[in-house]
Amino acid sequence: MTNAAAQYFRNIKDAVRTTAKGMKITLKYWLREPAITIEYPDRLGEGRTADDIVQDRFRGFLRLDSSICIGCLQCMKTCPIDCILITTEKIGEERHLTRFDVDQSKCMYCGLCVEVCPTSAITFSKRFEGACYDIRELCISHIHQPAPVAKPKAKEKEG
Amino acid sequence: MHNLAEIIYQFLAGRFGQSALLEPVFTLAAYLIPCIVALSLVSVISGLLTYFERKVSADIQNRIGPNRVGPYGIFQFIADGVKLLMKEDIIPDAADRFLFRIAPYIVLSSTFLAVIVVPFGGPFIIADLDIGLIFIVVVSSLVVVGFLMSGWASNNKWALLGGIRSAAQMISYEIPAALSLLTVILITGTFSMQQIVMKQGPWPWDWFIFHNPFTFVAFFLFMISGLAEINRLPFDFPEAESELVSGYNTEYSGMRFGIFFLAEFANIFVSASITATVFLGGGNIGLDPYTSGIAPQLFMVLVFFAKVVPLCFVTIWVRWSLPRLRLDQMMSMCWKYFIPLSFSCLVLTALWLLAFNGNGVFWRISG
Repeated sequence: MTNAAAQYFRNIKDAVRTTAKGMKITLKYWLREPAITIEYPDRLGEGRTADDIVQDRFRGFLRLDSSICIGCLQCMKTCPIDCILITTEKIGEERHLTRFDVDQSKCMYCGLCVEVCPTSAITFSKRFEGACYDIRELCISHIHQPAPVAKPKAKEKEG
Repeated sequence: MHNLAEIIYQFLAGRFGQSALLEPVFTLAAYLIPCIVALSLVSVISGLLTYFERKVSADIQNRIGPNRVGPYGIFQFIADGVKLLMKEDIIPDAADRFLFRIAPYIVLSSTFLAVIVVPFGGPFIIADLDIGLIFIVVVSSLVVVGFLMSGWASNNKWALLGGIRSAAQMISYEIPAALSLLTVILITGTFSMQQIVMKQGPWPWDWFIFHNPFTFVAFFLFMISGLAEINRLPFDFPEAESELVSGYNTEYSGMRFGIFFLAEFANIFVSASITATVFLGGGNIGLDPYTSGIAPQLFMVLVFFAKVVPLCFVTIWVRWSLPRLRLDQMMSMCWKYFIPLSFSCLVLTALWLLAFNGNGVFWRISG
């Protein structure tokens, strides 16, 4: 058999083999592999919410744990676009947080406030659904009635 | 009685009495009723095929596919059809208006003409022509006229290129397709589709695909050239999205585009049913299709569709597995590989029939 004829039949063999190989792979995906699509927003599955479908590192809306906030105002100062507004008042003997507003419509999710917070009172939540009819709804007040600020932990004495 | 039209004619004549006055009415009704039924049936089938195409492609790509309209999204194709009907029908300024309008109907009618001789199992065949298989080969190549027309009339370079490509491709692949069908004709000695079905048997070893090794090869040759003739991937050059926008139907919108789409999917069904009829025994269950009762006849239809539906799925499966060839590869595949192979299949089948007195390979084994 001449070289060209051998090549001819090798071509046919190659075509059949590679086609079969490719079709086997798609058949496997067709019959075995389940769909990985998440049907957001209305068919997330039993007991799943929109917050569950994003990753743990996701930077969503900011969240405040007012029980450990010491009212140091560092987040307000470090925010590059001034979307955090905090006021504290002295009521009786203790300082109280009277306002802690985060304007999520301005926030660029840089995370500087989260980094700077000494007690991790301000953190990212996984909430991302911010659509609303009025942009002012996105300015979220975390304090509704004056709350006493937490005492900063005393520095442990050395020795 | 050889077909549905004659059965209906006999029924009408028996019901209303034979008379010279009513005779043309009977004839018209006897041919129109099966045609309309087949037309709507094939339209629904091609609609369902669009649904299954999307569902299978979704499964292959780990997606879900349409699942909103009706249970499992089964009515998605109706929603799509209604949407296409409501859309504006745009004809470009520079287009040849008459040809532009008429082209989709030529494509669609050439597809549906082929349905006329498809035996749906039992007596359910619109017209059992003596030249059935040749008729299919002839009318399916009429599609080229429609494609060229739409490509030329659109006055758009993508559309024109698509039309020219479709002409080049379909005329080339007509040859191996016809030759591989001819191997079966050597065995049957008739072109009539109903006769071809009746000469096969209910069991796989009675089918012509397993008659001898060469018909086995011819089956695959016909399947692949069929893919090329109906413009499916890996041979969808006339409408290669990445190269030609959408090919010959680039300028079409609304229901005119819908008709092209309908014809495309009806073609899948027609191609699959020809393959099933010629190579896989069609709706043969070992009984005479005309004299047996209504229950076996309906079972024949079921058997026919049980063979056609998997073939349609294979067509879809191929589309979502293989990439498009290059134009020159497609041409060399046809002229260098398919035509020589189908010719040798033809000649070797003839020699086989001569050597073994017209008997198949399983006749040799069983003795």
